[in-house]
Amino acid sequence: MDSGQIQTIIINALHMANQARTDDNQLTVAPDAPLFGDNGQLDSLGIVALIIDIEEALAESGCNVTLTAERAMSLSQSPFKDVPSLVVYIGERLRTE
Amino acid sequence: MMSPKRCILITGASRGLGRHLAEYYLAQGDLVIGCARSEAAESTISHKYYRHYRVDVTDAPAVRTLLQEVQREVGKLDALINNAGIANMNPLALTPVETARRIMETNFLGTFVLSQAAIRLLRKSSAPRIVNLSSIAVPLRLAGESVYAASKSAIETLTRVAAQELGAFGITCNAVGPTPIDTDLLKGVGKEKIRRLVEQQAIPRMAQPSDVAHVVDFFLHPASHMITGQVIYLGGLG
Repeated sequence: MDSGQIQTIIINALHMANQARTDDNQLTVAPDAPLFGDNGQLDSLGIVALIIDIEEALAESGCNVTLTAERAMSLSQSPFKDVPSLVVYIGERLRTE
Repeated sequence: MMSPKRCILITGASRGLGRHLAEYYLAQGDLVIGCARSEAAESTISHKYYRHYRVDVTDAPAVRTLLQEVQREVGKLDALINNAGIANMNPLALTPVETARRIMETNFLGTFVLSQAAIRLLRKSSAPRIVNLSSIAVPLRLAGESVYAASKSAIETLTRVAAQELGAFGITCNAVGPTPIDTDLLKGVGKEKIRRLVEQQAIPRMAQPSDVAHVVDFFLHPASHMITGQVIYLGGLG
C-alpha cells in the first residue's frame, strides 16, 4: 500500500467521523489537516475512534495492523499529530508488521 | 437449530470455570469462541456453535489473528469474557520472579491484550460487553497470594479505566470476583486454608460456577447498558 492509498483511507475516515458530528463541529478534511495535540482538532477520545476506523479500513484492504504508539498522546511528537505524520507512521507499521 | 443469538469469546475455555461458562452460553443458544493454550481433544467442547482456538492470551499477534478469524467467520463480537488465569499460592518471600512475571502476564496482560484487540469487533455489536475475572483475594488481601491478588487488583483497575475509555463506544466493562470454586485453580490449596477463607465470607460456602454465570449474565444483559466499571464479589465481600 503506497502513501496515496494510506492518505485516502485517512481522509475517508475523517469524512466518516464528520457524519457523526454536528454541522458546527465538523473536522477539517485535507491532506495536511491537523489531528491531535497542539492545534489538533480531535480530543483523546476522538483520535481513538478515528484510529480504530482507520485500522478497520486497513484490515478491509488486507492490511492487518495495530496502530498503537508509545508517544500516541504526546502533544508535540505524536504520530497522530496530523494527516502527513499519520501517513508516514502507518507506512512504517505496514513495513514492520 | 436456530441461528446463534450472540457471539461470545471466552478465554481459558478448556477447563474449569471457562469451560462451564462456554457450555452455559452454548445452552443459551449463543455462538461461543473458546480459546486456551491447549486443544487436547478431550478438553474441547463438541457443539455446532462452539469454535476452539489454541491461543496463548499473552501472545498479541496470535490474539489479533484469532480476532481476525472471528471477524471473517462471524463479523461481530457481542461479549468478551476474560477468564484465563493462573495462580500460584506462595508467600512473597518465596515466589520466584519468573513465577510472578508469568502470573502477571497471563492474568493481567492477557486481559489487556484481548480487550484491546476486541474493541473493533465489539463496536459492531448492539450490546457490547467485556467481563473480566477478579477474585476475592483482592478485598481479603490474602496472605500467601501476593502476586495472584496483585494481578487481579490490576485487572480491577483496568476494568474501571477501560469502562471510562470504552463507554463512548457503548462497550461496558465490568468484573466479577468469585469466592473459591472447586476448579483446577484450587488444586494444591489446602482444605483448611480454603475453609478459613470461606468462613470470612458473609455467605460462608464455596461458590458454584453457576453463581459466576449469574453475575456474568447480569453484565451481559442488554438492559445493563448503564452498568460499567463495576466489580461484583460473590459471598458478600468487598
